[in-house]
Amino acid sequence: MEEKGKRKEEVTAVSGIYGDAEPEMQRTMQEVLAEIDRFRSMMKEKHGEDPVEHCLARIKSEESMRNKCLERGLPATPETALHEIRDAIGIRVVCAFVDDVMAVLQYLKSIEGYEVVCEKDYIRHAKPNGYRSYHLILRVNGFYVEVQLRTISMDTWAALEHQLHYKKNTEGENHLIVRELKRCADELASTDVSMQTIRDMIYSEGVFRETQA
Amino acid sequence: MKILLAEDTRDMNRALTAVLSHNGYEVDSVFDGEAALEKLGTDSYDAVILDIMMPKKDGLSVLKEMRARGIVAPVLLLTAKAEVDDRVAGLDAGADDYLTKPFAMKELLARVRSMTRRRNTYQSNELQYQDIRLQADNFELIAENTIRLAAKEFELLQLLILNADHELENTYILEHIWGNEPEADADTVWLYISYLKGKLAAVESRVTIRGMRGGSYQLEA
Repeated sequence: MEEKGKRKEEVTAVSGIYGDAEPEMQRTMQEVLAEIDRFRSMMKEKHGEDPVEHCLARIKSEESMRNKCLERGLPATPETALHEIRDAIGIRVVCAFVDDVMAVLQYLKSIEGYEVVCEKDYIRHAKPNGYRSYHLILRVNGFYVEVQLRTISMDTWAALEHQLHYKKNTEGENHLIVRELKRCADELASTDVSMQTIRDMIYSEGVFRETQA
Repeated sequence: MKILLAEDTRDMNRALTAVLSHNGYEVDSVFDGEAALEKLGTDSYDAVILDIMMPKKDGLSVLKEMRARGIVAPVLLLTAKAEVDDRVAGLDAGADDYLTKPFAMKELLARVRSMTRRRNTYQSNELQYQDIRLQADNFELIAENTIRLAAKEFELLQLLILNADHELENTYILEHIWGNEPEADADTVWLYISYLKGKLAAVESRVTIRGMRGGSYQLEA
């Protein structure tokens, strides 16, 4: 996601690229957010823990959407924006632990009326630069909704990697930065696993007291 | 492979240099201890052969100074038969092996091979086991995905791979990885085994670790 929206979404000043679909898009986005909230409440009640650290949502701005249409060599029309490009509605769910990411994912996939269009597991198969996240594309009320699920570590890393695209560095510096970012990504992934392991130990009763038969 | 030879007897020096070169080694030869130390200051060697009796600086002094400087290249001492104390002193000062004169050339060559073998085979940069690769220079665990391990995790997995054909006891692991640190115990080992299990899964490997807390462990695929 290029822009981080607030929990309240941006309303574009000139509504052009989405035609008159915007109000409905807002409603759909709210609906999905409400589902996530529902899941969070359920988990809080059941386990005493909120599985989600934070959640961001936005409707892609007019400018960004037009640019994306251009990049893809497609006409900048509502048809393209709503039916060809799939992240007009974008939600990012950030959790402290990998297991929580998976729990939210399973919940979203199981909601009646939500169609799972596409899934990309960049957690199990990181991108070559080190990027890790789970991308879930749903179809809700006739709209595409892209949900990115990730851990705090992955989110921190992605934010830094994003900055690489804005600042101008020399080619040599770039190579070094790209390599070091990859190293960090792999180390962060390792720490995520360790923390999950520790959490499992804490919650799995009797593990530390268990002795070999 | 590059060898530094320090031997003051000209004929012996020439003969040794010839034999070693003929057997594929690159040889730098010097005739006294000071020259040896000078070479060690500028070049890197895979092995060093030192005669104990040398002018300017003797073999033992060269050895001690070498080790003090942090040069870890394996050293073979050439000694005369009567010098038992010298041999003991030499080994304790950091030599890896010795040969008493007169010696057979083929024995010298065998001992040089033995000394340098340890560096190559036993400390190879990459270990492979089933569908995983473990790299020593950056602690990377690679299968379908890549992850970086912490130091102790790396050492533990390395130990498990090198001993994949039998079970490893808790005590053996504590001794080799934790050097019998007072704070490390069966729980520590169990935690690190658990970490490794998680990381093996994270890189999509078939490999897992069999064993219960407090017991013996072994890799299985």
